[in-house]
This record gives sequence, structure tokens and C-alpha cells, in this order.
Amino acid sequence: MHMLIIGGGLVGSYLAGLLQSDGHSVTVIEAREAAKGLIHRTAPGASFVLGDGTDPFVLESAGVRTADVVAAVTGADETNLVIASLARFAFSVPRTVARVNNPHHSWMFTPMMGVDEALNQADVMAHLIAQVVERQG
Amino acid sequence: MRIIILGCGRIGAGLMQHLSLHGHDITAVDPDPRAAARIAPSFRGRMIVGDVLDHQVLLDAQIAQSDALAAVTASDDVNVVVARLARQVFHVPRVAARVYNPRTAEVYHRLGIQTVSSVAWGINRIAELLSYSELEPVASLGGEAELVAASAPALLVGRPVSALATLGEVHVATISRGGRTFLPQPGTIIEAGDLLYLVVLAAAKDRLAALLRS
Repeated sequence: MHMLIIGGGLVGSYLAGLLQSDGHSVTVIEAREAAKGLIHRTAPGASFVLGDGTDPFVLESAGVRTADVVAAVTGADETNLVIASLARFAFSVPRTVARVNNPHHSWMFTPMMGVDEALNQADVMAHLIAQVVERQG
Repeated sequence: MRIIILGCGRIGAGLMQHLSLHGHDITAVDPDPRAAARIAPSFRGRMIVGDVLDHQVLLDAQIAQSDALAAVTASDDVNVVVARLARQVFHVPRVAARVYNPRTAEVYHRLGIQTVSSVAWGINRIAELLSYSELEPVASLGGEAELVAASAPALLVGRPVSALATLGEVHVATISRGGRTFLPQPGTIIEAGDLLYLVVLAAAKDRLAALLRS
């Protein structure tokens, strides 16, 4: 499958490495050139596209029209939402995944905004920690 | 009307002042408590300090009961996201978003959000001003027609407005004369120094320009 990841920070580059070792073809869009080194170290086979993932031209040049999945995992929730809605409504990508940074923003991550799957990291972490804490208690 | 303004930068603060002077009931939201300093002391609306993407903040601003919303924060992404939510989730009848990137603006326009791109507008306007034309464009009326301004050419002075309208492609909308603007009748005589506001079909613009030059 062809995976398009937007956001090449710690989360995006680690995700790219995981997907690539599972045998998927991976492209990462990242606005900061400085992140290129990190992506090449964690996901050596991934294609790197320098640019703003909310720009429709950048998405097209990164192959959004042939992507099976778009994962918007930048550190800004509004950016992830714009990417998900462009991917779904402007480019008809079959599946979209978006990262929720601020739990107060999770209400916006819905299919109406083009998001199939929202991953709320604070929520996921808090539940895992609560499980561990309660098991020890 | 009850109007919500998200973002109190230069555009937001200016909008608040303008709309409240026209008697509208304004609620403004900005995350920065210092934003209140930009607002004119005469402003009588409500100011909420908070994250414009927070559900509770939008409910506090009574978004579901509002008649219109302007998303004018410094972030294109925030503006288009909140504009879409205002339409789809809260069913706000009139929504406009300020967007810097003309390419994103175009996509969102297709997704049903009214966007205002000051960059695109500025580029078009400056290009028009630099490429000299007798017809000064004032507004585009849906692509096929334009509102333009032109000084009354010597050829038409002393002749009725209907002389210009015979083209069938030009309509004289208003005449500004001596600091006063009025709606002309077909028989109104054009005088020297008149400023004419004309509605012209895009296809007839060149012909009109040639006529005014002659």
C-alpha cells in the first residue's frame, strides 16, 4: 500500500519507519528541511517531500491522488484537520488518519471534517498510564 | 444581526468596530488577553478570551444562535477549519474566512466556504493599477459582468445616458457629479466631469474602452 504521511517530526518519522518495515511504500511531507536527517535515519527508504502539507500543489506532487492512506500527524491540530479534509474532499483518498494533539480539540476530528480515524495521544497515554497505576495499586 | 468574530488582529478589530457601528451585536474571541487593547474604546460588544477551536469557548460565544461568523485569525488553517465547523456543526447561515494562500482559498471555495484572500485580491488590484486602463474596475459581478468606473468622455458630453446604453451590453448604474451620486434615467444628459459607474459584460469591455477613447 502507498502511505502518505504529513509531519516528519518524531511521530511522523517513527511511523514512517514502522510502515516501511511492514513493507509499505511511504512518502513523508515535512515543512522543515532540518527534519530530513531524522527521517532518513528512521525510515531510510521513505521518499521525502519538502513543503507545506496544507498546500494542494504540495499534496499532489507527493502523490496524494494515488495514496491508499493519508496520515496527518503534525503538531498542530488545525493543520491536521485541513490536510484530512483536503485529502478526503478534494482528492478522494480512501482512508484518512489524523493525530489529535490537544484533547480539547478532539470534537472536531469527525468524518464530516474528512477524518476516518482520530488518534488522541493524550487520551491514549492517559488510559494506558491509568491501567498501569491501577494494576500496581 | 448577531455576529461572531474569531481573531482580533487588524482585520478582526477593524471588523468589530465597523459592524458594531452599524448596530450589530458582536461577540469577539481571541486567545490573547492583550488583544483587547487593540479594540476601540467605543466598542460595546462582548470579548471572550479563549481558544477559538475549543468547543466550550464556541458555545460560550453562542455560536449556535449567531447569524454570521467571520474567521479572521492569523492562521489560514484555523480559519478554514472553524469556518467549516460553523457551517456544518452549528449551522451558522453566513460564514466567511480570511485565507492568505490563494491556492487553499480556491479549494475551500469549492468546499462551500466563502474565503477572502487579501493576497489574491492585492495581486489582482495592483496588476490592474499597473496595466493602465481607461476603465477602472470596481467589482466583479460573478465573472461575466463587471462594475467599472470611467470619466465621461468628451464625445458623450451633452448626450443622454441612453446613447451609451444602446450597445445593449453596457448599463449606466450611477453618475457621480459635483460630490453627489444619483441613479440616471435614460434621458439624463451626461455632463463634463461626470464619473460614470458602468455595468459591462466582460465580452464587451474592449468595445466600451474603444468607444470611451474615441
